[in-house]
Amino acid sequence: MLSSIQELNELRSVLAKAAQPGQLRLVICAGTACQASGSSGVIRAIKQHIISRGLVGKVALRVTGCHGFCEMGPFILTEPQMAFYAQVKAEDVPRLVEALLAGKYVEELLYRDADSGEVYYRRDDIPFFKYQQRDILGLNQRIDPIRIHDYIAEGGYSALAQVLARQDPAWVVGEVKRSGLRGRGGGGFPTGQKWEMLARQPSDRGKFLVCNADEGDPGAYMDRSVLEGNPHSIIEGMAIGACGTGATEGIVYVRNEYPLAIKHLTIALQQARQMGLLGANILGARFAFDIQIVRGAGAFVCGEETALIRSIEGKMGEPRQRPPYPVHRGIDGRPTAINNVETWANIPLLFRRGAEAYAKTGTPNNSGTKIFSLVGKIKNTGLVEVPMGMTIRQIVYDIGGGPSGKAKIKAVQTGGPSGGCIPAAQFDLPIDYETLAAAGSIMGSGGMIVMDENTCMVDVARYFMNFLKDESCGKCFTCRKGTQRMFEILDDVSKGQGTITQLELLQELALVVKDSTMCGLGQTASNPVLSTLRYFAGEYRRHVEDKRCDAFVCKELMGPPCQSACPVDTEAWRYVALIEKGDYEAAYQVIREANPFPSVCARVCDRKCETRCSLAVSGGQAVSVRALKRFIADRVDPSTYRPARAPRAAKDARRVAVVGAGPAGISAAHYLSIRGHQVTLFEAAREPGGMLVSCIPAYRLPRDKVRQDIASLLNDHVRFEPGQRLGRDLTIDGLFEDGFAAIFLAIGADKSWRLDLEGENVRGVYSSMQFLKAFNLDGIELAKGNVGIIGGGNSAVDAARVAIRQKQVESVTLFYRRTCREMPAYAEEVEAAIEEGIHLETLVSPVKIRYIDAAIREGVRVEPFVQPIQIDTKNGHLAGIKCIRNRLAEMDPSGRRRPVAIPGSEFAVFLDTLIAAIGERPDSECLAGMGLEIDGSGRVRVDPRTLAASRPGVFAGGDLVTGPNTVVDAIAAGKQAAAVIGRFLEGKPLAAPSQQIAPSVYVPPRPVADEEAEEAEREECATLPAESRSKSFAEVELALTADQAAREARRCLRCDLRFTQPPGEQPAACPAHQESLA
Amino acid sequence: MISLTINGIPIEVEPGTTLLEAANYLGIAIPTLCHHEGLSPYGACRLCLVEIGVRPRTRLVSSCSYPAEPGLRVRTGSERVLRARRMVIELLLATCPQSKVIQDLASAHGIRQQRFRQEHEDCILCGLCVRVCAEQMMAGAIGFRSRGQGRTIGTPFDKRSEVCRLCGACMYVCPACQLRCTFSEPDKAICGGCANIPAPCVSSGQHDDLMCYMNPCAACEIAKT
Repeated sequence: MLSSIQELNELRSVLAKAAQPGQLRLVICAGTACQASGSSGVIRAIKQHIISRGLVGKVALRVTGCHGFCEMGPFILTEPQMAFYAQVKAEDVPRLVEALLAGKYVEELLYRDADSGEVYYRRDDIPFFKYQQRDILGLNQRIDPIRIHDYIAEGGYSALAQVLARQDPAWVVGEVKRSGLRGRGGGGFPTGQKWEMLARQPSDRGKFLVCNADEGDPGAYMDRSVLEGNPHSIIEGMAIGACGTGATEGIVYVRNEYPLAIKHLTIALQQARQMGLLGANILGARFAFDIQIVRGAGAFVCGEETALIRSIEGKMGEPRQRPPYPVHRGIDGRPTAINNVETWANIPLLFRRGAEAYAKTGTPNNSGTKIFSLVGKIKNTGLVEVPMGMTIRQIVYDIGGGPSGKAKIKAVQTGGPSGGCIPAAQFDLPIDYETLAAAGSIMGSGGMIVMDENTCMVDVARYFMNFLKDESCGKCFTCRKGTQRMFEILDDVSKGQGTITQLELLQELALVVKDSTMCGLGQTASNPVLSTLRYFAGEYRRHVEDKRCDAFVCKELMGPPCQSACPVDTEAWRYVALIEKGDYEAAYQVIREANPFPSVCARVCDRKCETRCSLAVSGGQAVSVRALKRFIADRVDPSTYRPARAPRAAKDARRVAVVGAGPAGISAAHYLSIRGHQVTLFEAAREPGGMLVSCIPAYRLPRDKVRQDIASLLNDHVRFEPGQRLGRDLTIDGLFEDGFAAIFLAIGADKSWRLDLEGENVRGVYSSMQFLKAFNLDGIELAKGNVGIIGGGNSAVDAARVAIRQKQVESVTLFYRRTCREMPAYAEEVEAAIEEGIHLETLVSPVKIRYIDAAIREGVRVEPFVQPIQIDTKNGHLAGIKCIRNRLAEMDPSGRRRPVAIPGSEFAVFLDTLIAAIGERPDSECLAGMGLEIDGSGRVRVDPRTLAASRPGVFAGGDLVTGPNTVVDAIAAGKQAAAVIGRFLEGKPLAAPSQQIAPSVYVPPRPVADEEAEEAEREECATLPAESRSKSFAEVELALTADQAAREARRCLRCDLRFTQPPGEQPAACPAHQESLA
Repeated sequence: MISLTINGIPIEVEPGTTLLEAANYLGIAIPTLCHHEGLSPYGACRLCLVEIGVRPRTRLVSSCSYPAEPGLRVRTGSERVLRARRMVIELLLATCPQSKVIQDLASAHGIRQQRFRQEHEDCILCGLCVRVCAEQMMAGAIGFRSRGQGRTIGTPFDKRSEVCRLCGACMYVCPACQLRCTFSEPDKAICGGCANIPAPCVSSGQHDDLMCYMNPCAACEIAKT
């Protein structure tokens, strides 16, 4: 029992003397999150180890509350080293203790950056901690929350002593006002002003102070961490508040879902009372104050102050209209001031530092720090405490470390369900109350959910509205019905049943709900809808008009994900199911019906179906859809194909010119011929196929397979005209004059970007296209001796692998300016295209960079972080290049690290051949003169929904429109063009109404035994051994065997059944179900 | 006395007077649903919204519960008020189209159709019955249960209430004419008057959203069965 301030100070100095500086200590978090990841077991192991090894006194242990980096839990912090060991297991403990005793580190357990692999020896150097200002949370690591002595030793209750010594309530309130502290619960009301109003209230029956710990936002838990980790700071803050306002009773309203917080707070209250820090005559002064805990049942609306008061009174938790405000009529009609946990935790700090010093943190009018819980699609999740006014970008990229996967960050949602989404374009906004409100969001209690491109904003709004419609108390009509109706509309939109008028109604309703409801819940309930409508209107329209959800979230719009991911709408699930049944011819029928190039796509498709496969999205391995397609394409004779509709000559047949016989052009010609039109296919080269024959190497795509696919598409209705180059032999006007009713341009993108270095025209320097065409079309081997290739895209790797197969080549080196991780390998999109801003299909799971691995195995050296700066020549021939090394610097707006040259790191490389493979562009200069619009990268501008170019009757598609892109996208463009041109010739509107993607038939599933489902591993295609590949162009990837194919097909989760299964059939019969259970 | 202006007209009222009372004193009509003289203000139906303050810093509050403040400027028919009020009525109409009170309101505000999915609720949770039972009949037999969409009115555990005297006050005040005390036992309703009248507006399924002017309204009784 401390009966005076003097005694408290004496106790503190005794504690200070007892503490040994330099004491070796393990600090471990036992907050709720770390306990969930197993810290209790680690704590037990540490105690056992210390006792059994007789280390008591040498190594100490401190069990604390949350430190914030919950993703890395359970973790151990060592004192005085301050080393941070992440995700520690019980068996690691002995090693850690030994290292600590020896003053060393256990390197493999230290936190390391997942990308760069950099090891951090000091906790405070880790980016997650480095950029924070942990005024509140920082105390957690130094305090065992159930030991009041820890808190006192850290200067605890000194602020209360200081306030009690002054005996001047007006000064207390004045200090809080001067500090500029604003309520951390979300509203941002100045705390000092609230206290002043309470202090002025007459109090014949006493006044209340309430700590609002009813933290209900999904994903937010900073209040819990403060209560769990440092309950005494709340007690001290409230006692100071009582001194300033004359309050007699304190209440902590905490939700019952926080058992650990309640436990720690209960212990802390008991200790404080025993020490004389609560109760009558606190620290001997004539001042009495005590605190009770009231547990809430977890209704979200009880965080609203008037509802909270009713809940404390034991009534139904529903708000009432203010005024009267709680400071006038609160609990039991008595004046009441309610502050959030974090606000109370700021009070002792404010008095220890002094108001002026406190106000220096943050920005004017937004002083102090704010804790955010950073969650979602971000690398470092956890609690972060930053000074107000920091930008969102700093929090997301510097502290949060950027996106967790490959997808780009699209938005952050702040303030929980009542907050709004802020798009990535506005990440430079500083975080303070006013700025967030102006951007359509709120600070809220500090939830910050990061969303990437795999998040559907309609679904986000729908999710929060679903939460709010259940959590609205239901008293006031516009909130109850408004949230319900908004959810109804959002639900319709996410199911593809929305209309444009419904979107207008949604906006109108949201504005009225915001305006007309009684309490804060309803007034902010529209924010998720209004902010997403404001910043992501395009996504809403895409759902309504095109019936597509680009993030693959809205299930009803998605259909089976493999099917909707496929640009040509192949029912992948269907042929997989047919393979499983052994009906290979029917499987071929399914593949061929959707895609005229089965053998080609079976080899070089970029497998969008696999990246979206439900197995991959849920963290497993996708079904090897392409390998299965290859299995069918190799096994089934194409002549068995019975087309649903064959090419024919219709009565009203028209003549259509298709320029460019690549995959896009041939597909367009084929489908136009099915519609009954007469097509002439013009091609500059001697042979049809475009990139399929000129660029893609034969070891990936055997030429006989290409020719087989193409031959089946050319017939009487599709006439092939080789050697006809647009601009040289053909013009658009000329084609119209020749009687063609429509023209489809698909001349591709085969002109290489130049390095823009001097000497690029000397012998020995080639562009990748030049090099590949020379070999593939004419059999000329241009590479000799030491070969260098600049670039990290697909054609760079193609060139490297072709070069290493050529006879006079000694070595091949690939120079790439970023790291291997960032190479756009296999995905056939190249670096230059990204920089031009072309939209990339984002990958859900990291696809193995097998293609680069294969090149490396074949002997290609890969040099990352290198950029050429000079070409050295000798007698008109290439002699070598000079390169400079790069390092990765800060994130650029796309969320990728920018490569920056390191001065002085130049080095020379001697080369006989240099291949520049930094990207391609369409060779389209001639088109501008023919009345078409061309953009800066040589691409033809078309309406994406109709492929119509700026001249009537002229359409364009494929790489000519998109820049370098995949084969399957080109085929899709050809297919789309045929449909649009067909409508054009029939005089119909060009754009067809869009339809939802849905499976067309029901294929009954086959039951799978448990053990079979459990051991199902993805089957990969076998490859030729690397030694036999050398100097050979034999196909590297081999087909699956029949057994392998059947096993692989059985792994399919059959997502189609959700849409096709007749009611009443056993869902458990499908393998998917078994697997998900396993 | 407190002086304030309503729609530009100065008025002095006793402390504690609500904005609704003050406006009514001036003869300014403000529609209400959950308000009843003699019952405590509740502020739930949001029909009586008025705009207070000086532009651009104004806000909407429910006039039935907002006390008059010195110098307050009140607008009862501004564009902002009417926009919100129309939406409230549209939502009411979408919820409970068979109530004559709501139909009259819609008609008076020129609302001819609602744009939401049609529902046929028999209660708009205005709470008049709960308050009349507790405050005037001194019974407190019925109350609210649950929250959000699941919110309903009834006796505890839907059991016949010991304190209910079957006085019918709840039904008398109900704008959607629904009986409360016999929530779970509609056959014991003391009033079955309108249940025997054939209801032209609901007998044919196509006309169930038709505005009818029957008094008492039969549709709500039939909707119960």
